[in-house]
Amino acid sequence: MNLLPDGALDRLQDGCRIIGSRCNQLGISQWEVVATQSYGHQIDIEGGKISLAGGGGEGGYGIRVLEDGKFGFAYLVDVKSADEAINSAISIARMSPSIEGFVLPSEQSAQQVAGLFDKSIIDLDSEFLLNQADAIISEVASLDSRAVVTGGGIGVSANAASILTSEGIESGGLTTSHGVGVQISIEENGQLTSSWQSKSAKSQLPNVPQCIERAVEWAQLTRDPIKVEAPEDDSPILMTSEGFSPLFSVVVPTAVKGEKLVRNESFWSGKMSQNVISSELSIIDDATVEAGKSSGSRDDEGVPSRQNVLIQDGKLTGSLWSTRDSAQQISEGRIDSAHTTGSAIRSGHQSPPISGCSNLFLSSSKKSHNFESMLEVMGDGFVINSVMGAHTANPTSGDFSVTSSSILRVENGEIIGAVKQAGVSGNMAKALQKGVYLGDDVRPQGSYSSGTMYVPNVLLTKGIRVNPV
Amino acid sequence: MVLVKTPDSMVSGNSNRYLDVDKINKSLDLVTCNGATYAEVRLVALTDYSVAMRDGKLERAIPGQEIGATIRVLADGAWGVHSTTDISSLQEQMSPTLKLAQSVAARRSAKDQPIKLAEVPIIEDSIHWVPKKDVRNTELSQRLEHLKVMNSTASEHENIVSVTCGWHDENIHTEFLSSEGMNRTWSFQRSLINGMVTARDGGNVVSYRTRFGGEGGLELIESCDVDALGENARISALRLLKAQRAPSGKMPLIADRDLTGVYIHEALGHPCEADLVAAGDSCLDGKLGEKIGSDLVTVIDDPTIRGGYGAHPVDDEGLDTTEKCLIKNGVLTEYLNHRETAEHFGIKPNAGARAQDGLHHPLVRMSNTLIHGGTHNDLDDLVDDVEYGVYACGSRGGQVDTGRGSFQFAAQEAWLIENGEITTPLKDVSVSGLTLQILNDVDGLTKDSRLAAPGFCGKGQTVPVGDGGPIMRISEALVG
Repeated sequence: MNLLPDGALDRLQDGCRIIGSRCNQLGISQWEVVATQSYGHQIDIEGGKISLAGGGGEGGYGIRVLEDGKFGFAYLVDVKSADEAINSAISIARMSPSIEGFVLPSEQSAQQVAGLFDKSIIDLDSEFLLNQADAIISEVASLDSRAVVTGGGIGVSANAASILTSEGIESGGLTTSHGVGVQISIEENGQLTSSWQSKSAKSQLPNVPQCIERAVEWAQLTRDPIKVEAPEDDSPILMTSEGFSPLFSVVVPTAVKGEKLVRNESFWSGKMSQNVISSELSIIDDATVEAGKSSGSRDDEGVPSRQNVLIQDGKLTGSLWSTRDSAQQISEGRIDSAHTTGSAIRSGHQSPPISGCSNLFLSSSKKSHNFESMLEVMGDGFVINSVMGAHTANPTSGDFSVTSSSILRVENGEIIGAVKQAGVSGNMAKALQKGVYLGDDVRPQGSYSSGTMYVPNVLLTKGIRVNPV
Repeated sequence: MVLVKTPDSMVSGNSNRYLDVDKINKSLDLVTCNGATYAEVRLVALTDYSVAMRDGKLERAIPGQEIGATIRVLADGAWGVHSTTDISSLQEQMSPTLKLAQSVAARRSAKDQPIKLAEVPIIEDSIHWVPKKDVRNTELSQRLEHLKVMNSTASEHENIVSVTCGWHDENIHTEFLSSEGMNRTWSFQRSLINGMVTARDGGNVVSYRTRFGGEGGLELIESCDVDALGENARISALRLLKAQRAPSGKMPLIADRDLTGVYIHEALGHPCEADLVAAGDSCLDGKLGEKIGSDLVTVIDDPTIRGGYGAHPVDDEGLDTTEKCLIKNGVLTEYLNHRETAEHFGIKPNAGARAQDGLHHPLVRMSNTLIHGGTHNDLDDLVDDVEYGVYACGSRGGQVDTGRGSFQFAAQEAWLIENGEITTPLKDVSVSGLTLQILNDVDGLTKDSRLAAPGFCGKGQTVPVGDGGPIMRISEALVG
């Protein structure tokens, strides 16, 4: 059976029109209806075997109404309860503070972004995924007979999304995704090591993605830990894309939100046009990237997506804004001028839009390095492939204090063995200020906050403390 | 199997059913006739309301309604699952879900055991934990009043640059029908308020979060000293502005109730989840009956503690919830389990199945997890013996690698302990360790044990939990 039911997007758009029409009948001056519906198949793997096959679909509608700069929002599953939801949104709007100048965005033409829909995915059925799961389990066993997929799974989804507004925006589209995540464990001689790796894309993945080999490799690399004395001073660390991304995603996307910057809630507040990180580094948010995991032709309030340069050659040059945030900060006098940057995001249909990132790229104007040359540059230090507790990093200050059990000791540019466990602490904003070297292999990673982090391996040479057990 | 018919208890306005019981039962019978050994439908209807206030102004209010249902079919020893928001499609999805289960079963190798479920009493009833004040009847203006009080006391200082206050309440209504004849409906409410205070002094910017809530209605929020909640958050944020970076290394650690709760949740609770044990992903595999902690350590997980954020009357396989004693005086006594893992380990089912909502299948999860109290009178009593260490308070969350048995949790604020005295304020303290080592290093607990601030636990699915205990001292922890 096709993953995507016939007419799924049409039905969703019809639902938006019914709700929009009802808003018009009720005399609401500005309104916005968004709808999402997703369908998927999933296979769970536990203890080295397929434990469950599942599937299903979910979705609903969100309604934002706006009267005299006051907005209200409500969400619902069934169009039949639209009146109740609209009335809730209206009553909330009446109690909300008026934001001078806040109007819903008007229609502007938007360029389609290619690579977000792969027809081959919607033809995949559970049998295909079961075969893929078997192939992954077999591949792991062939790579290392001791290795077991103790957890994880495979999923495919097809998603329909639609937006309709009183200001003439009417847009809808289909996207697909295919993802694999595995926890690989090796238990031998009373010693257990493990590694989690994942890969997802808008198009169909290879039957056995490269992340599988990588997971086995890291479960192997971290065996037989050696004793390492705690360095007296800060220590260079080479974080793989997988290890760096969770920390980066907790701290940086928050710091570059326009409203955080003007409210003095970002460690980069008051530093617009100043150097904030190493002068060869740039950070760009780009929702228009072909096949980008968080790409789309429009943002989540219908504004055409674009590329936003946030940090250029170390200098803070931009920030992320939604329509409402920009109007609010102007009306409250924190900033003279601000406009939407096409950076409105929301958690499906269940929330009104806020400002946030899409595909966040960290790049360097300097020559990028392969893994081996970064080890040479590092000399003595550590390689970190994953951290525990990235979500406990402090996005306000940039401080973090996390733990890694997937960490290797490097001496004279050579990996000499694994470290059982180590505390790793520092400040992300400061660590990015100097002595930063980027690898040559940018890999997209999911994030704890929003959007997708496109980051390479990163060597941080300053301001990080490592405390091995 | 035993059929138990419990009279409807405390039935409130939740007697309306979303599922057509006759039709669903017929389709459950049919799927069983066609080869399923077990099938169930669980529906969750949620009404919730979220409010956010920023610097005293309403930022957003979100009323919502969600409904979702999950079919689980066990056939030939394997699971098929289907989840949907389209309740009218449940009957037609029963047969495809059976086929999914049969497809998984067909791939099982000879060495893998088919899944079986432990026998449980079959119950037909309705249980409604009726709050004193139904939170659904709360006006937005009432919600805002509480948040304004918190905002007011939290923001009273020139260095406070922002205060965000939040409210979330929900009414959870669940219906459960199974091919074994289980027919249960239950409902309860949760209410929560929270705040985040951001303080700035020059280029130094810090934040402090606070949270209060649990199972219950509006009465729960009304019982909270919201004024003090805001004031304490403000004081802590301002203190963090002047706090020093924490020392790093192994040293004695004293944890307040919040951190004690997170510690026991991460370090012990997760490795005790029988689905992880069965998957070979727990350091506690094979250790039932073994001494794994100091004599002081007794730990329970109890969803029946009313008011706890993890409280619920019935688990998501339709079993009455019950207290589980995970460790008694240092000896591992029980895994948290669901029917599948109870049968796998040949142990008694203890109703540990929870799903995030109607669209997710149940996993083995914690609820309200607590360490019992010890013998020390108070914090001073614990600090007295410490020459050099850290006293850490408030949780910013934690994480565990259950297989390796290593964990990490982070404190909101902390103090240095020097020569038996609490001295310099510290910031960004985190603690890491190994489960099987650190449980032995607990060397002091105050007498009083109770739940701390509400929390959320992620394991692929997010569920509300309550954690807590007494103030706890660990003789040697890795502080960073």
